Amino acid sequence: MTPNEDVVHPEIRLEGVSLVYEAGGSTVLALDNLHCRFAAGRVTAIIGPSGCGKSTMLQITRGFMQASRGTVSFIGPDGQPMARPPRMATVWQSFNLFPWRTVEDNVAFGLEMAGVPPTERQARAREALRLVDLTGFERKYPGQLSGGMRQRVGMARALVMDPDVLLLDEPFGALDAQTRLVLQEQLAAMVERTGKTVLLITHSIEEAILLADTVYVLTARPGRVAAEVQIDLPKPRSIASTHDARYAGYFEQIYGLLKSEVLRSMHGEVEAG
Amino acid sequence: MMRDRAPEGDVALRPVRTGAAPADRVTGWVAVAVVLIAWEVLCRLLEVSSLYLPRPTQIAVALYDLFVHKQAITDLAVTLYRIFGGFAIGLVCGVALGLAMAVSRRLQSIADVFIAALYPLPKITLIPLLIIWLGTGGPFMLTISALGALFPVIINTLLGVRQCDQGLVVTARDLGASERQIVRHVLLPAAIPSVFAGARLGLGVSIILVVAAEMVVGKLGLGARLYLAGQVLETETVFAVLVVLAALGIAVTKGLDSLDTLANRWRG
Repeated sequence: MTPNEDVVHPEIRLEGVSLVYEAGGSTVLALDNLHCRFAAGRVTAIIGPSGCGKSTMLQITRGFMQASRGTVSFIGPDGQPMARPPRMATVWQSFNLFPWRTVEDNVAFGLEMAGVPPTERQARAREALRLVDLTGFERKYPGQLSGGMRQRVGMARALVMDPDVLLLDEPFGALDAQTRLVLQEQLAAMVERTGKTVLLITHSIEEAILLADTVYVLTARPGRVAAEVQIDLPKPRSIASTHDARYAGYFEQIYGLLKSEVLRSMHGEVEAG
Repeated sequence: MMRDRAPEGDVALRPVRTGAAPADRVTGWVAVAVVLIAWEVLCRLLEVSSLYLPRPTQIAVALYDLFVHKQAITDLAVTLYRIFGGFAIGLVCGVALGLAMAVSRRLQSIADVFIAALYPLPKITLIPLLIIWLGTGGPFMLTISALGALFPVIINTLLGVRQCDQGLVVTARDLGASERQIVRHVLLPAAIPSVFAGARLGLGVSIILVVAAEMVVGKLGLGARLYLAGQVLETETVFAVLVVLAALGIAVTKGLDSLDTLANRWRG
């Protein structure tokens, strides 16, 4: 979380990324020839109907999954591909906290794996927890926290690694609407401050507009880029941004694109069912 | 598939939570007292021969005699050493093997066959073979005890690792953990409740096997005492040793409960 002089927030380019997998003897095309650019130090949101391969796209970007075709490249500030992949950390929809570790030890997990000495990692974990307003909960176990608090631990755990790229996999999808609003605002402010390259997977239009500089709308399976929408609203954004005249325009534009895709995927399900 | 199931079905999947309410505990002890008094009174009224059924007071005297005059404390110590020494070996080997099997498909397919063959085999039938190989001394006792604990621990460790949430494994990898660190910091802790269930079963088997082995070959140990007392028709002593074994069982169960609570306090 400490500001780093040699930080390189990279640009990420997906070029012609496709994913084909085998299921029950037939091949399924999950992602079809995706071209995306996640700008350096900006927030890019991916939005699309359920099952369009949003999370798969994140896994491919993270390097946990291999694309069937196409490339993922990380471009450094010099405009050249980076020699090594940048540091990345993920915030998960299902929180994925280690239930047997205290809040503090959850946040310190990555530092511990990297061999950071106990006193230093404790200090950094506490600082990260302070930033997500969880001071006083260091010794609690995840099972003792509410959903919103758990996801703040998840955010602290990713941020404490000071990643160049922050991946958010439907981070607020499992939370109630009010908690989500508060966390979205907090995250917007935090991301703005750190200036990291952020990839946000979401199915909430509101969340995409509130957080992102660029929104990619994906089609129903197979996932293709239906549109790229630039969100030009002043920052830091908050719930007040929804009163901006442009907000409604963006919302309608994205909703219009999504609606036909959702209908199409529902129709497909009816046919398949 | 035997490897998919713990020996006692679903019961073994999660450690039993004990710790009755105080009122229940009092009720339990009152019941014990009532049974003992009824036993004493009925034996006196019906003039039951102490050769068949000694009275609780006679058993208490035999118990006192055993520890004060007959150095039974040595036997207790020897038996405890054999049980826990062997159990510890079985536990460590079982967890290591279970983890290794959970991680390596090849090792698992090799080990599966052997476990399928050896697990249902009553370990007590191995006593003659082990005596031929190891004699009747310490190594034999530790081996039989370790064998008792080994299989329940392997199977439950494997089960515990299998039940680990894959999301946690991916999360650890995302946070930079190596495969080895994932085993140590994710799979092992995730399996701990299940390992405890296996250890509980395994320790029970270790106790049975050590006492049985002592009855067959031992000159020392509670099993030997029990067998010798039976041979010379000292029924009070037989009961006294049984009381010690029962007390040992209670102590072990309670001890494991406390350890379990300590190790799994995050579930609170």
